Amino acid sequence: MALLSRITSILTLLEGPQTLGRGRRFWAGFALVVAAASAYPLFADGYDVGNNVYFFNWIFMALGLCLIWGYGGSLSFGQTAFFGIAGYAYGVLTINLGDAYGLTLLALVAAVLISAVCAAILGYFLFFGRISGVFLGIVTLSVTLVMERFISQTAGPEWHIGTARLNGFNGMGAMPSLTIPWPGGPIVLFPDVALYYATLVLLILVYLGLRVLVNSRFGNVIVAIRENPQRAEMLGYDVRKYQLGTFIIGSSLAGLSGVLYTSWGNYITPASMGMTAASLPIVWVAVGGRSDLTTTLFGTLLVLIGFQALTIYGSQYALVVMGALLVLTVLVAPRGIVASAVSLASKRWTRKKAQSGEVS
Amino acid sequence: MDVLYSTFSFLYQSGDAFAFLVLSACGLAVIFGMMGVINLAHGEFILCGAYVSTSATHMGLPLPLAIALGAGVAGLIGMLLERLIVRHLYLRPLDTIVATWGISMIATQGTLIVLGSTMQGTGTPFGSFMVGNYSYSVYRIVLMGMALATLAALWLVFTRTRFGVLARATIQVPHIAQALGVNTGLIYSLTFGLGAALAGLAGGLYAPTMTLVPTMGSAFIVEAFVTVVIGGADIFLGTAPAAAILGVVKAALTSWQGQLAGQIGMLLAVIIVIRILPRGISGWILKERA
Amino acid sequence: MPILETRALNKWFGGLHVTGGVDFALETGEMHCLIGPNGAGKSTFFRLILGEHLPTSGQILYNSHDITLTKSYERIRHGISVKFQVPGIFKALNVAQNIQIALQHHVAPAELDHEIDLLLNFLNLKPVARQLAGNLSHGQKQWLEIGMAVGLKPKLLLLDEPTAGMTPDETFATGEMLQALNREGVTVLAVEHDMAFVRQIAHRVTVLHLGKIFAQGTIDEIVANEQVAAIYLGEAHAQ
Repeated sequence: MALLSRITSILTLLEGPQTLGRGRRFWAGFALVVAAASAYPLFADGYDVGNNVYFFNWIFMALGLCLIWGYGGSLSFGQTAFFGIAGYAYGVLTINLGDAYGLTLLALVAAVLISAVCAAILGYFLFFGRISGVFLGIVTLSVTLVMERFISQTAGPEWHIGTARLNGFNGMGAMPSLTIPWPGGPIVLFPDVALYYATLVLLILVYLGLRVLVNSRFGNVIVAIRENPQRAEMLGYDVRKYQLGTFIIGSSLAGLSGVLYTSWGNYITPASMGMTAASLPIVWVAVGGRSDLTTTLFGTLLVLIGFQALTIYGSQYALVVMGALLVLTVLVAPRGIVASAVSLASKRWTRKKAQSGEVS
Repeated sequence: MDVLYSTFSFLYQSGDAFAFLVLSACGLAVIFGMMGVINLAHGEFILCGAYVSTSATHMGLPLPLAIALGAGVAGLIGMLLERLIVRHLYLRPLDTIVATWGISMIATQGTLIVLGSTMQGTGTPFGSFMVGNYSYSVYRIVLMGMALATLAALWLVFTRTRFGVLARATIQVPHIAQALGVNTGLIYSLTFGLGAALAGLAGGLYAPTMTLVPTMGSAFIVEAFVTVVIGGADIFLGTAPAAAILGVVKAALTSWQGQLAGQIGMLLAVIIVIRILPRGISGWILKERA
Repeated sequence: MPILETRALNKWFGGLHVTGGVDFALETGEMHCLIGPNGAGKSTFFRLILGEHLPTSGQILYNSHDITLTKSYERIRHGISVKFQVPGIFKALNVAQNIQIALQHHVAPAELDHEIDLLLNFLNLKPVARQLAGNLSHGQKQWLEIGMAVGLKPKLLLLDEPTAGMTPDETFATGEMLQALNREGVTVLAVEHDMAFVRQIAHRVTVLHLGKIFAQGTIDEIVANEQVAAIYLGEAHAQ
């Protein structure tokens, strides 16, 4: 019974003032979106479905950044460092361990943990040194850029861990995909329908989990710290610990993205930690609306799909558009384009409802 | 004799690292120190200085004039961007970083589209000299001199000129300065332009020593960032001593384990130092004077 | 027994001696007001007690424990609470959440909602419980700020100009509320300019001047003290 009430109390945290969307209408929409996403593979080619998992892979990192930046107010420009660390860790582990016995799943967990530990160490120095917003951004960015340079020069054969060669700027490849052990033979998650469903389920779980987190007592405190860190401290909270906790959770999600991406393409390069790669999560989250998980999720998907469409003309053109989008967002819709659109639409809606109420 | 030679070698490397750090960072530090804004397009102003001065040299302009031209063009573009974009964001310093990052993306990729993936360099002038068994570049010595000259010039600008005094007044108490009739908008614009011009100067000075590619700015920014982070908001009490200390650290690690170790070591040093001196060296020197 | 004591407390900012060897004792259960002209060092003294600044030398004792180097948030958890002059509420959270943050680390989860309700009723903020705190009126923000400070169930309540910007009626009501808290055992230390308010609540008054304790006594003794009048007048002349 206690367990049941515990579960209901957690479920009530799925909605709250920290997240957009509540009530029947929102959850009906949510169910509709999930149903559409689940039905999509029935109408599409397996190859396309597998390719489009690519878009899902990045959303974890975007949601993590949304937590750190949007909810926690800490500017982290180096989430790609944790993406890269976990991606390389997955590669090294699976190349050495192989894909039997569900070891790839173990490697996934281990790689995410490694990125979390790295985030904890870096975050300890930053937050316990009480580094302010601006500096936090440039230190984290410096870390990811130096990581890129470090990995880039590991092309020589002397750079290897076990049987896994780091391969420098050429990138590391040929690691096995995630594989689920199964009685009738292991299910290898190639970029295909099975991987699509696995990633979709993971994404839904992470999204709902984060909704609960930001509406929980922990979430209240991190938003309070964003609003007024001094006051939060004077209400008895160790601000540094909460900021560090947020940073570790968000960075683990970047790590999860790194693992999924590496397993999806069986490939990772140091460029995934470079300046261009580091700028993209900022674009997704800023354009979507960093102060809310749902707007971040949809913003990320939209920008990723738009970017992909523009890449036909060359990735440099797509990046110019991304840069312009970023500047425009900051100037015109600082809360994010998707978030502004949502609030505009809901204002329209309530006004309309009020008018029709008057008539009847 | 060997001891003397290796001492010279170490001094040369430290001086070289110091010059690189000072020149990379001072533009960023001027803007940060005066306006509290980190300009993430800093690397692209460096790129601009490098490309303009190299093109000018190709057209036959003497090197010093070409470098000055590079700095000037970067400065003008800086003032323009301040007017168009940065100005609207002064109350939101974190958003300024994001917006300047957007500018940086546009500039890097735009350069790639318009000018291609590389530009022909000019080669390093002045040749070299020998000390012991090693040869050293004369131009690197010139760069060290330029770093010191830049610091001296900035000192004069901020203490002896009308602009410098007004700028410091504006930074300390903007609303009072405004009430006293200072055109604070112009001051901000000039400060941003000065920072951009200093970045352009760094680009122009280092252009003869490196490969010119649209992403070359990112070769400077890590050094610029860490110097500003560890130095704090004051150029003379912060950036310069930070560059001196980091220069020695970097040179020591570089001669021991190579270029990359120098960079990694420097970054680690910074991360550890900020745990101890969160407000940087200048904050520590000015301890609680506020 | 004093609940709070400072011994030879000194604070230098560069060459500025803002707190000059203050020996101060606050008795448990008293209501004490701290007054003094601008620049007397009142807010620095507050910040030292809260741990926002660390003293250059000297000691701070709370219930006879040395808390000179204790972190701010730990001091709060030991029963010190503060209401700032400028309301430090969390604008993006709703009113109930603001209160919840003050309560959640020391109230059992099962009683949390009930306690929040009690406090909201006490503060007359029940009707706006679900509104964002940023949308409240100035007076409501002040009450919310007080509610958060009180919600910590402090043993020692520090107030920095609690009545700033309030009408005389509101000021009086605030005084009565503080007296009610005091009867429940809360010790109160307030920085205040409003002499009517000081007269209403203070058992004792301390005058700070140039970082030092200038005079101490009941409000009548302080008002009768010509030297105290002189430092205020001196300031008036200087302006």
